[in-house]
Amino acid sequence: MARALARALVAAALTLVAALTLAACGSGGDTTAAQIDNGSTGKHGGTLRILTGEDPSSLDPGVTYSSLDLNVLAGTERTLYAYKPDDPAKIVPDLAAGPPQVSADGKTLTVKIRSGVHYSPPVNREVKAQDVKYAIERGFNPHVANPYASTYYGDVVGAANATGGPIAGIQTPDDHTLVFKLSRPTASLLAQATILPLSVPVPPEYAKPFDAHAPSDYANHVVATGPYMLAADKSGKVLGTGYKPGRLIRVVRNPSWNASTDDRPAYLDAIQWTIGGTPTVSGRQVLNGKGMVLGDPPTAAIVKLAYQHHRDQILFVEGGGSRYIALNTQVPPFDDANLRKAMAASLDRERMRIVRGGAVVGDIATHFLYPGVLGFDEAGGLAGPGEDFLAAPAGDKAVAAKYMKAAGYPSGRYTGTETVQVIGLAGEPDDNDAQIVDQALQDLGFKTSLKLVDASVMYGRFCALPKSKVQVCPNLGWVRDFADPQTVLDAAFNGAAISPENNPNWPQLDDPKINAAMSKAEVAVGTEKRAQAWADIDRMITATAAAIPWLWDKQPNLFSADVRCVPELWNQGHCDLAYSSLK
Amino acid sequence: MLGYVVRRLLWGLLLLLLVSALTFVIFYVLPSADPAQLRAGRSGSLATLAAIRHNLGLDRPLTVQYWTFLKRLVLHGDLGYSYYSDASVRSLLFDRIGPTVSLALGAVVVWLLVSIPIGMISAVRPRSWLDRLTMGGALLALSLPVYWVGLVALYLFSDDIGKWPLLPGAGSYVPLAQSPWEWFTSLIMPWLVLASTYAAIYARLLRGNLIETLSEDYVRTARAKGLSERRVILRHGLPPAAGPLMTLAGLDLGLLLGGAVLTETIFGIPGIGRLNYEAIVHADYPVIQGTVLLAAMFVIVANIAVDIGYAYLDPRVRTA
Repeated sequence: MARALARALVAAALTLVAALTLAACGSGGDTTAAQIDNGSTGKHGGTLRILTGEDPSSLDPGVTYSSLDLNVLAGTERTLYAYKPDDPAKIVPDLAAGPPQVSADGKTLTVKIRSGVHYSPPVNREVKAQDVKYAIERGFNPHVANPYASTYYGDVVGAANATGGPIAGIQTPDDHTLVFKLSRPTASLLAQATILPLSVPVPPEYAKPFDAHAPSDYANHVVATGPYMLAADKSGKVLGTGYKPGRLIRVVRNPSWNASTDDRPAYLDAIQWTIGGTPTVSGRQVLNGKGMVLGDPPTAAIVKLAYQHHRDQILFVEGGGSRYIALNTQVPPFDDANLRKAMAASLDRERMRIVRGGAVVGDIATHFLYPGVLGFDEAGGLAGPGEDFLAAPAGDKAVAAKYMKAAGYPSGRYTGTETVQVIGLAGEPDDNDAQIVDQALQDLGFKTSLKLVDASVMYGRFCALPKSKVQVCPNLGWVRDFADPQTVLDAAFNGAAISPENNPNWPQLDDPKINAAMSKAEVAVGTEKRAQAWADIDRMITATAAAIPWLWDKQPNLFSADVRCVPELWNQGHCDLAYSSLK
Repeated sequence: MLGYVVRRLLWGLLLLLLVSALTFVIFYVLPSADPAQLRAGRSGSLATLAAIRHNLGLDRPLTVQYWTFLKRLVLHGDLGYSYYSDASVRSLLFDRIGPTVSLALGAVVVWLLVSIPIGMISAVRPRSWLDRLTMGGALLALSLPVYWVGLVALYLFSDDIGKWPLLPGAGSYVPLAQSPWEWFTSLIMPWLVLASTYAAIYARLLRGNLIETLSEDYVRTARAKGLSERRVILRHGLPPAAGPLMTLAGLDLGLLLGGAVLTETIFGIPGIGRLNYEAIVHADYPVIQGTVLLAAMFVIVANIAVDIGYAYLDPRVRTA
């Protein structure tokens, strides 16, 4: 016990030293060390190496959903629409031949497909609109089980009962036209959702045999439409050639790619992900080596090293998501809004940020829509909506006492008997953040039981499982799917989204007014209207204190001195493979 | 003798069965991640979860799942498919076994080569400055965690991030078949780091054993017969003193073949240990089961080999 305590103290002291040094170095404003460019004038050739500790979750565009996978697919595949790396808000045509055409009633979306786009070997043929139709339909196939198909394509006529077969609401009047017929006026949202990889074309005649397997085996035989392809054998098998689990992913030029059909420069000859190793070592290898990029978030020590000695090799990219602490609104004691507000007022969010690295790692959050998401400014911008319990980043004991009194605890301390269960993440710096939250609860008089577990266990067995009745989850975060604010707020705070398992509404907020406002905002048409509608909802959610927002991440990204990294501002700042180059 | 060997092998098989059952129970009883939820992500609906569970066979009763696993393993040698990468577990194990065998065998050779001379010198000259120096060094090597030693070694000597770039560093492993020289150089540092703790243990053990052996009557007789000190130590002292070391080396090798997680992770060696660690993180039960069974098999085989060795040397053991 004493040894564990000593270790914790030493670790905390070291982290604090690192953090304070960084805080002293940077003001906390725009700490981007290198210029964010658009990759317009790169040099052709060379192989880029990306060091990562993680395997991709899936290389099937119909399945994939993680940041690493999206980074791979941004180089190998073409979605209907995409973001330019330097503009995370405006969609531009990729496989599409022009802007999306949304009907006046918002119930029909028409997309024209470019001519001359071909699949990589062994398929080689030209991409047709029917391939995109099949790609979306297979997302509903239980063998593929796309995680967001029903969320964003659920309004397509016939999608509600789809199981992989033809969906009546997706029509292809000719080889280069796609028409989506919707049951609700959500066409503009759907147009934005096509930046997600479910709209990557899949050749049915090639993929159907793989999709017949349960689960689909297409990931191991995936074909490309982008400038690069996963290395494969003659039959197109990627597993064992372009992807060796736990070892590498190897991407090479796609011989079928026609540069005249693509706006992206694609400078590199090849890209290789080396999987494995530790971030401490990998970070140093990237900073000291050549032609390398770190695929994972660097450790605090490596961020400090880069910040102090390699300023041109680190980028802090805004829009990395928002972090918040969920307070379970369905069980005591935090079913009482005043106790939630007292907790929010009492918490030292500044200290929580310091243990992660200080001001350079992000701004203190004051609400849930974060920078880079539509509606951020309308929701209050950096200053926030002005709730008194979130006004002081370092906490305000007087405000906390006010809300404790309102909750029936005039002494300012909780006198209930239940033990508050706190489930946090093991491993630095998350465990330190969890301990700060735990201490804040104890300072208010709550008896607590803190458990630190792995991320998958935290979500799967506790925070996303309502029957576990966990009261506080301090290490949660949300990243948008695309720039629309609905992707940040709807699932995370809509009472209708509460589910007995894999529940995304972690605080289990079920406020009829908020739910009704969301139903209205979901069908709002027009950028300004949507921004305002969701900003209003953001204010309503913040006012409930169902969750305590505390950090808007700036994601640090590292690369070697000879790498010209063009960060994907829409995807955690990973170097965009179709724009980045070697110097 | 044959009956003894058959008996030991049957016990080994039974033990493997127990290990597989225990792994299965631990995976489902202790709070671990849900593979379906990991695959579905945060937006996966209940229908999506149900579809994934069906695809992976997780919606069947636990007893059926275990029975299916056993049947496939016994009848076809099939360990199933990874929940995470869809690759066959057998192919994953075959892919990773080479690096682990390279690492483990090399480390055993290194620590035996280092520990035996050190143990002998310390035993022959007890309480000398050399004895104090080597045993102090051994104590230090025992106290330092492999993880830390590995990182320090990389920061000092690796050719990419080292202060004195001498040897290939993390992520430099290449298979033996691809380039024997690069394979050898890429493993020098991992061998030395992994061997450091074991060498310390073995040196201390050998020192103790040899000091005891050299005080035996038969050694005194050998000296009295006028044999040279070198011959006394090498022919009469070392063989009995080193016997337990060989037994221990067999067992340690069995353990290491199951994966040296820390060393493999620090040096980016794609071995069995790291495969097991990744499988635990991803709640990839078929791969966990495969790696655990493989590790158990190595330990059991090493035990049986040691037992058979003893039985060969001492007939009383065969009937025990």
